[in-house]
Amino acid sequence: MTTDGAPLLEVKGVSKYFGSVIALNDISMFVRAGEVTCLLGDNGAGKSTLIKTLSGVYKADEGQYLFEGEPMDLRSPRDALERGIATVYQDLAMIPLLSIWRNFFLGSEPTKGWGPFRRYDVEYATATTRDELGKMGIDIRDPDQPVGTLSGGERQSVAIARAVHFGAKVLILDEPTAALGVKQAGVVLRYIVQAKQRGIGVIFITHNPHHAYPVGDHFVILRRGLVYGDFTRQQLALEGLVQMMAGGEELENLAHELEQAAAGGTAAEDLRKAAALLEAETGRRQDQKAPEGRDPRPDG
Amino acid sequence: MATETAPPPAVARDERVRRVRLVSRLLSRPELGAVVGLVVVWTFFAVIAFDNNFVSWAATAAILNRAAPLGILAVAVALLMIAGEFDLSIGSILGFCGMAIMLLVTPVAAGGFGWALWPAILVALVLAVLTGLVNGYLVITTRLPSFIITLGTLFIFRGLTVAITRLRTNRTQLGNLDQVAGFDLARKLFASKLTLFGSTFSVSILWWVGLTMLATWVLLRTRQGNWIFGTGGAVDAARNVGVPVRAVKIALFVTTAFAGFLVAVIQAVQFTGSDTLRGQGQEFQAIIAAVVGGCLLTGGYGSAVGAAVGALIFGLVQQGIVITGIEGDWYQVFIGGVLVIAVILNNFVRLKAARR
Amino acid sequence: MIRRRWAGLLLVLAVFGAACTGGGDDGGNGGAVNKRDFRFVVVTHGQASDPFWSVAANGVKAAAEDMGVQVEYQAPDTFDMVAMSQLIDAAVASQPDGLVVSIPDADALGPSIRAAVAAGIPVISMNSGSDVFAKLGVLVHVGQTEFEAGLIAGQRFADEGVKNAICINQEVGNVALDLRCQGFEKGLGQKVPVIPVDLADPTGAQETVAGVLQGQSNLDGILTLGPTGAEPTLAALDQAGLLGKVKFATFDMSPRVLEEIDKGNMLFAIDQAQYLQGYLPVVLLTKYLETGALPLGSVDRVILTGPQIVTQATAAQVVDFSAEGLR
Repeated sequence: MTTDGAPLLEVKGVSKYFGSVIALNDISMFVRAGEVTCLLGDNGAGKSTLIKTLSGVYKADEGQYLFEGEPMDLRSPRDALERGIATVYQDLAMIPLLSIWRNFFLGSEPTKGWGPFRRYDVEYATATTRDELGKMGIDIRDPDQPVGTLSGGERQSVAIARAVHFGAKVLILDEPTAALGVKQAGVVLRYIVQAKQRGIGVIFITHNPHHAYPVGDHFVILRRGLVYGDFTRQQLALEGLVQMMAGGEELENLAHELEQAAAGGTAAEDLRKAAALLEAETGRRQDQKAPEGRDPRPDG
Repeated sequence: MATETAPPPAVARDERVRRVRLVSRLLSRPELGAVVGLVVVWTFFAVIAFDNNFVSWAATAAILNRAAPLGILAVAVALLMIAGEFDLSIGSILGFCGMAIMLLVTPVAAGGFGWALWPAILVALVLAVLTGLVNGYLVITTRLPSFIITLGTLFIFRGLTVAITRLRTNRTQLGNLDQVAGFDLARKLFASKLTLFGSTFSVSILWWVGLTMLATWVLLRTRQGNWIFGTGGAVDAARNVGVPVRAVKIALFVTTAFAGFLVAVIQAVQFTGSDTLRGQGQEFQAIIAAVVGGCLLTGGYGSAVGAAVGALIFGLVQQGIVITGIEGDWYQVFIGGVLVIAVILNNFVRLKAARR
Repeated sequence: MIRRRWAGLLLVLAVFGAACTGGGDDGGNGGAVNKRDFRFVVVTHGQASDPFWSVAANGVKAAAEDMGVQVEYQAPDTFDMVAMSQLIDAAVASQPDGLVVSIPDADALGPSIRAAVAAGIPVISMNSGSDVFAKLGVLVHVGQTEFEAGLIAGQRFADEGVKNAICINQEVGNVALDLRCQGFEKGLGQKVPVIPVDLADPTGAQETVAGVLQGQSNLDGILTLGPTGAEPTLAALDQAGLLGKVKFATFDMSPRVLEEIDKGNMLFAIDQAQYLQGYLPVVLLTKYLETGALPLGSVDRVILTGPQIVTQATAAQVVDFSAEGLR
């Protein structure tokens, strides 16, 4: 389900440096309303830096940030929130000792009354929490119970429901299924689809392609701060996605090793051909920004 | 699209939630453990000190009078603790404000400035707010633990109090406040006594109760209270959802400084003077009262009412020991012992409640 | 962000600087030019923030000005003999021309004092240690004996017909104060319970005394050991309507205490003239260095500055001095 095709949130050529470390290098990606863009990459690929840049915690050193077609300069996470860019972090921004309704409205508490008598509208908060969670399919009878008593999947759902309720136009989810079991992850994925169906643009960050594939409309793969590829569902099967995520690096290195070994030897030609074949299979080759030493492990 | 929830035993769960709802809600309140502790300690003293007239209005008045100044400090300290910070300098701020007032009103011939009382009180209030801002600002910008920063300001403010006073007056104690213009109104506000049932109750009790009620309302019924819980529970998360964490912390440091100022004024008026050591050690008693009252040292949980009950327990133990007639050398052992027991009991009750 | 952090640190330093320069009296020879090129160090067990020791420190400062010598006043933060011995060691290492110490604990401080004497530094003791100073090599002692002072107080109470008294100690752990209560008990001839209160919490002190008054209806005498104990006691007595009815006396003075003695609500105050305990040793050291002469004192080189009893007859004359920090 797509709208007119214009991106809701887009970054173009964004780079972020921390001293001498290049965390993000010329990143371009986008999400449309009513679509799910999956952001994939192993640990250290730059996913968390990208999320923080998208949600206003960091400011990009280079590049453009466009929201609803307009260039934008986010001053703070609160600024992003007010414009409709909601982020659900891995730690969920939930405080375990507080009740569900207090957590739900943290930072956006409803009030009634004026001046010094302005007070927290507890009745409204409790009722709304119950309703909104109900709409997402979570049946919370007692909104007063501390959030810590909910299961991991339920907490994620509360976090998503909160973002949806407060009028998020873009929902950025940082590894929501990372710590969940299969069934719970399924529950969360269902809510992602519901959010998408409500017209929200969802950026779903994960390192698990099996979770990403069922819900994603297109997939952006990050590697070492670079965008390795941006594929739609039509362009890529699940196996291709998996291969790109896991093991692509190893094959890459193997290809290099073979090339070097083939530089001086009688079976040189055969080896060189094999290396070329491998490279073709793994798709686009890693750029010249690869580090000096050889990195034998996939999580570079 | 079909929305599925988790497959029931939804029915069985609902029943359980409804049944224990009221009881468990009461039990899960942070004050409960403190109230239980209060009842236990009071009963303990009522039994062993019965012959010494512990169960009497005179003893109750003494306990309340004694607990009131600590109660005022404890409420402010509790709010700050819920937000995840400590203010160890509150006792020094108390001494600082008290001596500031006295220095301003002491006659010029004796090294003072000869002011009337109420302008002096106003200046002391401004100084208190400034010290709170200094504490808050230092904590926010240096990002060092507030424990360390306020430990430093504890010494700095106490040192300033001693040094400036002695520099100007050669003394450490200044009195004769009742001869300063404006004293009568101050006495009515801060040192009135009410005689009920043949015993004298100080007006500071009303200040204590009023501030506790105000703090409770702020914590539970305003946005700012939610922010305090958020700041203490998960500061990064709170910041990310838009809670103004820095403003909350600075405001709370100003609140503790204000509490120190208020107690300084009350005691200066009640005792018609102040000295450079006043308030020393009160910061630790206030923290203990807050913890006994159910505030978590790590922040994010607690209540103002709990801190008030904690201060009451403190006063109860101190006065109970006097009334029981325990040998003076053993005072500290007893106070420490009863407080540790009170905290353990509080913890036990809270864990039991949470497990239900 | 980094600029703010620097601003924060600068603020700390600024406040610190203010604190350090605010109290210049410890380096004191005031505005007078150094007439004599002597430097003395005074190490006592009482902080200048304590009302009693504040007066002694004022005496030290005045003597430094009058003699035209440089004097430093040092004391540990709390009643801590280990810290005090370290201060004495540090003072000795700085090679002063003379040392003035109080000796509340001869065993703990003895080695440090002996080391000072062995290093050739003339040492004079004040306030406490009148029975031990000589064998440590100290030249002269200026002070009062706490136990005897308490004894005299107790005897006066007995003369007034007091049978049940309490001793209120506002700084538990201070040996000098313990000696006062012990002497008092001996002088009174009855068992005297010691009631501890916190000198920093006047409300608590008042309620403690109120509690004791309430519990012991036959209480007819109270002794306090300082103004921070005396003033809350006055409030408690007033509240219970017993002011003037219970015999009440104290050690050391404050203007309020003297007024109450003048009115007849208190029996007396025991004056140690601690101003002289601070003043005289500096003078004696100066003259010793210049002439080699030492006073004999009342006996065995002990110059007693107390106990002196200030009663209703003399209280009014002393009030102004007390208000100036001289008594």
